[in-house]
Amino acid sequence: MGGTVAVLVVAYLALIAVVMSYAALTIEFSQSLRNDEASVAALEGQYLAAVAHITALDYTAAGYAQPVLKTFVRAKSVTALR
Amino acid sequence: MRAQFRSRIRLVLAFLIFAALGIILRLYFVQIVYGEDYSRKADRQFSSGGGELFDRGSIYFARKDGALISAATLGSGFLVAINPQVLADPAAAYSAITAVATTTVSRDAFFAAAAKKAQVYIEVAHRLSETSGQALAAKAIPGVQVLRERWRQYPGATLASQTIGIVSYGSGDSLAGRTGLEAVYDGTLSRSGDSLYRNFFAELFSNVGNLLVNARDARHGDIVTTIEPEVQTRLSSDLVKLTERYGSKESGGIIMDPATGAILAIASHPTYDGNNLQNVDPLLLGNPFAEHIHEFGSIMKPLTMTAALDAGVVTPETTYNDTGCITVNTRQICNWDLKARGVIPMRQIIMQSLNVGASWLATEMGQATFRGYFTKLFGEKTGIDLPNETGALLGNLSKPQQVGFDTAAFGQGIAVTPLQMIRALGALANGGTMVTPHLVSAVRLNSGIVRTLDWGGRVPVFATSSVRETVSMMGALNDEILYNGKAKIPTMSVAVKTGTAQLTAPGGGYYTDRFFHSFVGFFPSYSPRFIILLYTNDPKGVQYASETLDTTFLDLVHFLIDYYAVPPDRGLSAQADLPAATRL
Repeated sequence: MGGTVAVLVVAYLALIAVVMSYAALTIEFSQSLRNDEASVAALEGQYLAAVAHITALDYTAAGYAQPVLKTFVRAKSVTALR
Repeated sequence: MRAQFRSRIRLVLAFLIFAALGIILRLYFVQIVYGEDYSRKADRQFSSGGGELFDRGSIYFARKDGALISAATLGSGFLVAINPQVLADPAAAYSAITAVATTTVSRDAFFAAAAKKAQVYIEVAHRLSETSGQALAAKAIPGVQVLRERWRQYPGATLASQTIGIVSYGSGDSLAGRTGLEAVYDGTLSRSGDSLYRNFFAELFSNVGNLLVNARDARHGDIVTTIEPEVQTRLSSDLVKLTERYGSKESGGIIMDPATGAILAIASHPTYDGNNLQNVDPLLLGNPFAEHIHEFGSIMKPLTMTAALDAGVVTPETTYNDTGCITVNTRQICNWDLKARGVIPMRQIIMQSLNVGASWLATEMGQATFRGYFTKLFGEKTGIDLPNETGALLGNLSKPQQVGFDTAAFGQGIAVTPLQMIRALGALANGGTMVTPHLVSAVRLNSGIVRTLDWGGRVPVFATSSVRETVSMMGALNDEILYNGKAKIPTMSVAVKTGTAQLTAPGGGYYTDRFFHSFVGFFPSYSPRFIILLYTNDPKGVQYASETLDTTFLDLVHFLIDYYAVPPDRGLSAQADLPAATRL
């Protein structure tokens, strides 16, 4: 009888420990997930800012020359899908 | 022995009864006598700091290669709160907080907060980074609490902000989507009462069904838009340049796939940054493409022409006598340059944008036929996934005066939303059918299932043969008229139409010196992948849309051809011996 009670008490305490550990890990992992998402969002922000910077770039001011000639594909070319 | 045992039992029982009575008495004082005081104290302690962390699904842009880029997501960091009852050295605390926080209350406000000794929780700084928050927490300053917080973050800042929308507190005390996609898809994105911090064992005993199949996971998720971030950036950048160059009140643009109605870019200027809503004009928070109506002017003429061809009233070879001005119901209608053209064929109505010609088409069609086509084109809302979509003003088509029909034929006297306009013009691009413009292609549910949205609802309006004739006229306008023929791309057919409408004056009538410019174009003309609608409202110092919007339009066309590697749909003459080149 005494042994059974002891086993039950130990099992009860073990379950409490498992529940507490599981809850703590869940919180830790979910927050870690959110932190990673926030880091990714920061990188995405940098990517979008870089795209905006490139789009707004004045190539002439950056030292590039305007093209002087445009060449187009001919009608007989395989890429001209007439 | 037995009597002694009984007396002991009674003693224990009496002790328990007294203890119970004591507890009941204590509860009476706590709950009844001092209940309100304790309640107020609890509210002060936990009203701000004890709430559940904000959680919400993401909204994604979709790049051309399928990669998803967040348009709206969650920022994560820390807030700082003080407990004035415990805070011993406000000056030292303020120095420590300002050393790590980029935005905090002013020094005066901080000391005023620290002096409120009746309170135990006052927030003084928000959105600290992970490292800053942990560094401040490590100092363990008495009376300074560093607490976890999350907030809505828009990595693209102003990018498509009016379409993505905002999250804010409404009349209640919960954050929810208020405008744009945030509002329309709030049921999918919201996570109230659906914390990630679930206790497996608590769920096991209380709600085993939810643990195995969570109904919320089948309803909540992230949304994937059709907006391509680099195309959106290009359109936004071009509109900023356009608006600043001409001092316009506002400018806007939409780039859509005419076959499906998927919107690749939708931008307007001015706009706002969803991350910083302080000092934002509330009028900007709405969506101008769904909520504002305009008289678009001559970009309506291709629709009038196609309706006349489709009704069998005219053929491309039909001619009419253009007198330069006509009088209808005592009102005079004139061409833009007031000049007569004489007897000319139909295509000249589009190529020279002749108001008299468009009016002639409306008269030839008759009121019932004209009303039938235009009601089909603009009589209903588009059904786009944006809130507060408004309908068109087509009142002039319900009146018996012919002048209302004649002016509608060239885009004056009726007002429609930009989305209705691109939907109707999209029918010219895709062979005669109106599609449903839309911004979201799929919902990624938390359960892992990706639900692709079906945007059916195609409305046939014109026969393909009728549309083809009009597209030919619009193509000729691009190749021969626009930029005096320099806009022509030898390897790509492009169909265009410009529109210049007089702005309505308060109290009726129109301004003679203030205009609304619009421009529509699609390419490749006979199997378009893109249709572009641009407009600018009240540009200064310039009269015609061909002067303001053609540069923006052609920049977008060349960008899209390069970015999507659109293959040529025509080529230079094979007989030419010299390189097919143009000196710039």
